[in-house]
Amino acid sequence: MSCPSYDWKAYALGELDANSRREAEAHAATCSACRDELAELRLTLDALSTLREEEIPRRIAFVSDKVFEPRWWQNFLKPSFAAGCMVAAAILVHAFVRPAVDEAAIQTRIDKALVQVEQRQAKQMEAVDSVLKMIDKENRFVYARNAGLVRE
Amino acid sequence: MIFREVEDRDLIGKAKRGDVEAYNLLVSRWEKRVFNYLLRLVGHREDALDLSQDVFLKAYQNLPKLDAAEKFAGWLFRIAHNEAFSLLRKRRPEGELPHEKGSSEAGRLLPMELSLAVDSALRRLSEDQREAVLLKVYQGFKFDEMAEILGCPVSTVKSRLYTALDLLKTTLSPALSLSNVRGES
Repeated sequence: MSCPSYDWKAYALGELDANSRREAEAHAATCSACRDELAELRLTLDALSTLREEEIPRRIAFVSDKVFEPRWWQNFLKPSFAAGCMVAAAILVHAFVRPAVDEAAIQTRIDKALVQVEQRQAKQMEAVDSVLKMIDKENRFVYARNAGLVRE
Repeated sequence: MIFREVEDRDLIGKAKRGDVEAYNLLVSRWEKRVFNYLLRLVGHREDALDLSQDVFLKAYQNLPKLDAAEKFAGWLFRIAHNEAFSLLRKRRPEGELPHEKGSSEAGRLLPMELSLAVDSALRRLSEDQREAVLLKVYQGFKFDEMAEILGCPVSTVKSRLYTALDLLKTTLSPALSLSNVRGES
């Protein structure tokens, strides 16, 4: 008869914490009745472990049918679907929220730009004209000098 | 075991989102354990196979209700326990109590082979006792996990298991003596 204060079944089944295990082992070292109890338990558990595990006769497998397919609303939770919806929503929002085109304002801007371009071109032409006049004056001077009309 | 839990968690997550292939992989990891548990409990291969199929179907349908993936094993065996006892209740004639020790099989000589002796000894236990042994010895659940699976207090789990072990020790002692004699010779 083993000592009632020690739960050898819990010990053999691995349910005791480390401290309780150590305490039980220390007791078993000095108590032959508890050692016998533990030995019988281990023998029984060893015997139980000889029972072979059976192979399953047919593998269990499921195919994708109506039972397993996600419900229609679950499709909304898929990342790819959600991303597609966001892109579509962004395009729609952009189409409706985009500010209206003001044709008159654009024409005013074009006219203003044209005036600026014409003014710039006019200035450039004046500069070119000025350069041409200087060249012409220089040519006349050279011609007159070569002809001896001008004394250096 | 840690890696397995991590991978199971991943598969459970995918299965929850409707990935049948992920669920099939999860089934392939657990089907043998569930089948053997059910086989020992109901004692009939075809019934155990049908029940296994039902267990995994119910598990799939109820997977969204599983709040923590690390509890999958206990949750799965809870479903298996319910399915098995549903069948056992149908089988049992009305008013008949589950057979306890001292049934008609008691006293019969044990088979010589130890594993057969164990199989026979397990069958002599009551369903509750046998289930406690299956969950603890063959499936390795802790007492508190068993209490969750069986839906009863830990004290009841221990009582069933300890009684079962005492009965097994007594029933198996002739076979164990014989195997010891053989081992020594």
